[in-house]
Amino acid sequence: MPGWQAIYQELGTKNLEIISVAQDTNGVKDAGQWITAAHPTYAALIDEKHLVSKLYNMVNVPTGVWINELGKIARPNEVAFVDDRFKTFTGLDSAPYLAGLRDWVEKGDKSSYVMGEDQLRGKMAANDPNFMLASAEFGLGEHLYKAGHLTEAIPHFKEAQRLNPKSWNYKRQAYALSGERDYGTTFAQEVEKAGGSKVYYPAPDLPAGAGKKP
Amino acid sequence: MMRGVRLAFSLLILFLTVRSTFARHIRATIIYDDVATEVANAEEQNGQIWLTPADLERATHFEIKPQGVCRGVLCFPLPKAKRQEFLIEREGKTWFDLSAFAELVNQSVAHDEALAAWYFGLRGDQRQTLSHLEAPDFTLPDMGGKLHSLSEYRGKKVLLVTWASW
Repeated sequence: MPGWQAIYQELGTKNLEIISVAQDTNGVKDAGQWITAAHPTYAALIDEKHLVSKLYNMVNVPTGVWINELGKIARPNEVAFVDDRFKTFTGLDSAPYLAGLRDWVEKGDKSSYVMGEDQLRGKMAANDPNFMLASAEFGLGEHLYKAGHLTEAIPHFKEAQRLNPKSWNYKRQAYALSGERDYGTTFAQEVEKAGGSKVYYPAPDLPAGAGKKP
Repeated sequence: MMRGVRLAFSLLILFLTVRSTFARHIRATIIYDDVATEVANAEEQNGQIWLTPADLERATHFEIKPQGVCRGVLCFPLPKAKRQEFLIEREGKTWFDLSAFAELVNQSVAHDEALAAWYFGLRGDQRQTLSHLEAPDFTLPDMGGKLHSLSEYRGKKVLLVTWASW
């Protein structure tokens, strides 16, 4: 969050708004301290029901989407690091993504980072029926957890994880609510299964040579 | 001995068939648009949930009208030939099949049998579609409870970014 504040101070005067959305089932209770510490002047929203992840078919955090002045998607879901705090884990350098963001803020739709419609359609997840059902199972699990039925929530969280194995949100949020032992695995083991921390976050698909001066 | 077992087995099958064929009165929790509503008098049949029109409106804000099932300007016409499958009269009461309606509007449903809870996910009309590439709108609070909508940011570029404490 401090990273976004720095970016907002730099680009906020150039017609860029940042909307950060906390995907925490326990809302302010879990996310609040981080927001308070960051002193954000951009919109820092609380999303207990993971609505944004549902609407945009997001599977992990941090996930960024670029939205233009007309409310159209300019770049869809991708990993969005604005600083290098997690670089030793992810192997991802935030600089190319930030260069892209600056380029877009400056050039708008003419930026080579903006995706054409065909490319967008190819990148955006279709509404797979299994993923839709996974989202409902996860939502039911969250509701049961909040109503004091954690034990009954776990099978629904597991079902969501089974139906949409691509979603790290379903795993990480569920582990955070009751501990990994309820799922017979650990986050570290799951990352290893996926190929290790350096491939855990797929790097943003940035155009080769984009943003460079001709 | 074997006959006794067979008889017991047949009775069990009969019991299960009868149980699933007839509607059961239950107390149900309906979670719609992520809001939970307790319904004291619902009916369940083969995992399908039936509500009275009054409870339908209370739990989902949808009303049954001559033109279809509506909420404000949003209206889903019921296929004419199937209207009687969605709406039936039982014991002097009208019941609406919310599970069948979910299928009609392309909405996923999760069900917890033991707690009699039904969760209705996003409808087809609420989801991101690949046809117009518009960013789906949402309204969420900040820490102070003030609501913000994406649509308020038209005319600006927006970096929408999710994160979590976990």
